Amino acid sequence: MTEKDLQPLSYSPAYLDKIKGMRFFDPHVHMTSRTTDDYQAMADAGIVAIIEPSFWLGQPRTGVDTFRDYFSSLIGWERFRSSQFGIKHYCTIGLNSKEANNERLAEAVMEMLPLFIYKEGVVGIGEIGFDDQTAAEEKYYRAQLELAKEAGLPVQIHTPHRDKKKGTQRSMDIAIEHGLDPHMVIVDHNNEETVKEVLDRGFWAAFTIYPFTKMGNERMVAVVKQYGSERIMVNSAADWGISDPLAVPKTAALMHESGIDTNDIHLVTYRNAITAFAQSGQINEADFDTVRDIDQSLKFNGSTVLRGGQQPRVNKNSTIIR
Amino acid sequence: MENAYHYDKEKVEALLWDVIQQQSTDNGLAWLQQRTANWKTTAAVQQFNLTFTAIPRFLSKNEITVSPETATALRHLIDGYTIHGYTLDRLARVWWLLQLPADDRKTYTQTIENLFDAAEMNELVALYGALPLLAWPEAWRLRTAEGIRSNIGIVLQAIMTDNPYPARYLEEPAWNQLVMKAFFTEKPIHQISGLDKRANQPLAATLTDYAHERWAAGRPVHPQLWRLVAPFINDNNWPDIQRIWQSENSIEKEAAALACAMSPYEPAHTLLHQDKALQQEIKDGTLTWDALAPRC
Ligand SMILES: [Zn+2]
Repeated sequence: MTEKDLQPLSYSPAYLDKIKGMRFFDPHVHMTSRTTDDYQAMADAGIVAIIEPSFWLGQPRTGVDTFRDYFSSLIGWERFRSSQFGIKHYCTIGLNSKEANNERLAEAVMEMLPLFIYKEGVVGIGEIGFDDQTAAEEKYYRAQLELAKEAGLPVQIHTPHRDKKKGTQRSMDIAIEHGLDPHMVIVDHNNEETVKEVLDRGFWAAFTIYPFTKMGNERMVAVVKQYGSERIMVNSAADWGISDPLAVPKTAALMHESGIDTNDIHLVTYRNAITAFAQSGQINEADFDTVRDIDQSLKFNGSTVLRGGQQPRVNKNSTIIR
Repeated sequence: MENAYHYDKEKVEALLWDVIQQQSTDNGLAWLQQRTANWKTTAAVQQFNLTFTAIPRFLSKNEITVSPETATALRHLIDGYTIHGYTLDRLARVWWLLQLPADDRKTYTQTIENLFDAAEMNELVALYGALPLLAWPEAWRLRTAEGIRSNIGIVLQAIMTDNPYPARYLEEPAWNQLVMKAFFTEKPIHQISGLDKRANQPLAATLTDYAHERWAAGRPVHPQLWRLVAPFINDNNWPDIQRIWQSENSIEKEAAALACAMSPYEPAHTLLHQDKALQQEIKDGTLTWDALAPRC
């Protein structure tokens, strides 16, 4: 085994060369489940900002307080941690579809949501929608659409793995029924089967590049070739599963290799997500640079100028640990 | 009845309002006035909470300027209190907290605690920074000790620096934690309010141990650390002072000189006599811990 074998899996200078100087926005990534190595690799690959949607932690929560703490960590610790790597962190707040099925708990969470949705950096209600497509899921999906409408916030919809096409159609039908402008709704986890209708009806179509279960990025390249770049965006939805927080920059590299126009790449991996979520009034692109600057000051100056409890980055390629 | 506020609340509130008024836009000010009127008539806690949260959407995050007169007046009303370096939204949040009736201690503290529980980072900064102004000051000791456990830099800084609350109200163990953590997280030590006043023997002992650990790891020791050891120099830690006196780093030597000047320990005075120039600078007041601060 050589030193090179010990490097993180994400270490791939070859594809980084192709996207040098590009900036990326990953509008769906669950950093709570990821390590600082991921943040570092993401920053190195050009990711400047991310959105972390509230979701399921892999096992059901048993009380409202753990939801409170989870929401608080999205706007607190996780955001701070992200800033330490020069990445601007936003989130969407909501009751996820799986846990909507625990009605006693769901009621309590709904009561708490107004405390969180107006917080700084909350760019939407999400991710909400269907999982098993039960009556309880529908009830809380509808209630949260109303909340989003009242608050003037975009909605981020999680579409189900099983019976996806029907679930996606139903999600859109219900959003329209509640009077939401499709331009305020981002439909996530699309595939070749759902994309046309989502775009035709005026919604944003987001694609999750997630190995095995969702999209691969070769398929993504084909989708952009067929449908163009208008209202399409790419995300990683990286979480506690086998997933890749570098899915957005890697897909950009592949698009570049496949001859897709730079401007189209820019739209689907950066600009469109900003346009959609900035409707919350909570995204200011200048903040991306401010966060970045903090990071650079720690890289270029001595340790005494580290502000706010920052830790200096360590050289992962060295076998000596100081 | 016990007094909710331990300072002249009306005067402080008026001073803060003046600054807000001068530095807000017409729209921002109108919004805040409308929210105040709404709150006074409805007294609905959810409205109170929403306003607290929404303030940055209507008032800018620009840093405020504070006239020397206002700064002096505030410092006079609450010893050591300053709003220097505040952004307008942070100041407005502090002022908004003063709009919460404080006559019923239980309701008051519960409402504020709920704000803490659901706060994001900037809200925490505003809340912890407002500690010296909150009613029922004894009620916030645990909350403050909890805040010191935070890992978020700006939140820690709001508690640790330019904040007279901890020095006045924290028990010694919590206070010592605060100072220790300020060294660990590299905060501007000289900006901790009441630092010298609350120096104590256990803290000095812990800090010297910490210095030994740093040296063992080949890491530098923050010169201001010796400021807290100085009043407790004894036979045990005297070799440490001698070590930094002999340091090639001039800042460390100056720290040793300052520590010696502060100490009642006889050998310290003898040592200080050996460098007449440093001794004179200390006597003239050109060399002080604060003067040293920008260089450490
Ligand atoms: Zn997700």
